[in-house]
Amino acid sequence: MIRVHNLTYAYEKGDSPVLEDLNLHIAEGEYIALIGSNGCGKTTLIRHLNGLLIPSVGEVQVDELNTRDSKSLLEIRRRVGMAFQNADNQIVGMSVEEDVAFGPGNLRLSSVEVCRRVERALDMVGMTGLRTRPPHTLSGGQKQLLALAGLLAMEPKIIVLDEPTASLDPEGKKRVLTLLKKLNCQGLGIIHVTHSMEEAALAERVLVMDQGKLIADGNPGEILSRVEWLKTLGLAPPHISELMWQLKKGGEDLSTSIFTIEDAVEEITALLARLRSSSKAYLPQKADEHV
Amino acid sequence: MYKLGQYVYQESPVHRLDPRVKLIAVIALSIIILHVNFVGLIAASAMALAITLLARLSWGSVLKTLRPVLPFFFCLFLLYIFFTPGRPIPAFPIGPVQISYEGLNFGILQVWKFLLLVVAASILTMTATQSEITMGMERLLRPIRIIGISSHDIAMLLSLALRFMPTLLDEMNCVSQAQLARGANFNPRHLSGKIRAIRYLAVPLAINVFRRCDELVDAMEARGYQQGHRTYLRELVLSRRDYCLVAAILILLIVVVYE
Repeated sequence: MIRVHNLTYAYEKGDSPVLEDLNLHIAEGEYIALIGSNGCGKTTLIRHLNGLLIPSVGEVQVDELNTRDSKSLLEIRRRVGMAFQNADNQIVGMSVEEDVAFGPGNLRLSSVEVCRRVERALDMVGMTGLRTRPPHTLSGGQKQLLALAGLLAMEPKIIVLDEPTASLDPEGKKRVLTLLKKLNCQGLGIIHVTHSMEEAALAERVLVMDQGKLIADGNPGEILSRVEWLKTLGLAPPHISELMWQLKKGGEDLSTSIFTIEDAVEEITALLARLRSSSKAYLPQKADEHV
Repeated sequence: MYKLGQYVYQESPVHRLDPRVKLIAVIALSIIILHVNFVGLIAASAMALAITLLARLSWGSVLKTLRPVLPFFFCLFLLYIFFTPGRPIPAFPIGPVQISYEGLNFGILQVWKFLLLVVAASILTMTATQSEITMGMERLLRPIRIIGISSHDIAMLLSLALRFMPTLLDEMNCVSQAQLARGANFNPRHLSGKIRAIRYLAVPLAINVFRRCDELVDAMEARGYQQGHRTYLRELVLSRRDYCLVAAILILLIVVVYE
């Protein structure tokens, strides 16, 4: 559980704040997507969640621990795992397994326990076969999975990922996203910062930020279907939602809270079926006129 | 050049040794090599050959690591033979320059010693992985905590430097290709071209290094890094064989130094 209370933050004293009076409550095991245009304060916000930044005003609490208390920082960072966009600059170890062992090593666990956790984390991301590989020989997707394994070895309660799929090819993206879903099902909380509304649609709760403020908080259905509003914020709504929105604007009776091709096919098929049945009712009449 | 002297995976008694023993052995052998004369040097060379065979390394791959240092040692050799006073060799009056028996003798001895030192270091890096060497250093340096320095920090420093070496090499290639693509003309055959290339590579590379550092610091802190004590995936354990070997090396060292 993370509680953000009246958080205001400015990088320099006297500067205009990057985050302003932000309140947020995150329950255990939630899958949250955090969206917003560049420079809206997403990254600054997540850096508060594990005490990399300390609020200028207000509090951030992880369970019973406050990020202002430097004694609890290690435990906060264990509970709130965080990975950044460029996986290459997060890998510390000279081999895959040594990198995964970095976190548990910082927790000063015995080498038997470190070994067990490395084994488990590599298994979770499916990289057991690559354990002795030097990191620079891995692909972009593998590096991102390695960064994730490094977090999982700390046995966190929640992981915060800053655009984990930004530099990946479609295959790598799919692997990371599938893994996130699986981990969430096992009870791990996830905060996923993303520019892709398709990815945001996978979460169960979407937070929208603009100019240092949290301006919307709800399920993807409510938020991502507001196509015009998202565009005014400089965000690109999911292509499928936009298609549905355009059709609706053209007078068709369609829902716009649709984010996957499967759902769209279903909705459009249903619409076509309705049209067909109504035109069937109409056509025989026409036929009658001709006779 | 980067590939030279890199770890060669083999099943051998030398590879299996504790990295601390190998480190102590290399340091002790270096001191011994610098102390001995021709006879001792032949014995030390024979020993290096024996260790190479025992480690199942090819003699050629070990000798190859000498290639980058050869020009330097050749210059050193010339300095020794020309500038050591002594009886002149009559067959060698090249113009006004005279070389002496003593100079030739001393030059061969010194260059041989230096080459053997490089060989010893190469055998170490070819039979122990970088992380083993780092771990070994960390354990050997633990006593320095009495002067307030943590050996864990030094090991971290070392392992990060080694970890980012290939990354930075890739990045350097990337920067130089980006500049070639924009029409830069570095002629690597000429010294002036090489120097110009360094000037244009150094600045972008340095900027990138600082950017990487910032990100790395955040990532390390986010994963709970703190200075000082930490634990590792594998703990080094000395076997009886390791102890015996260290004892033997130290005895040899004492005998050679005090003879």
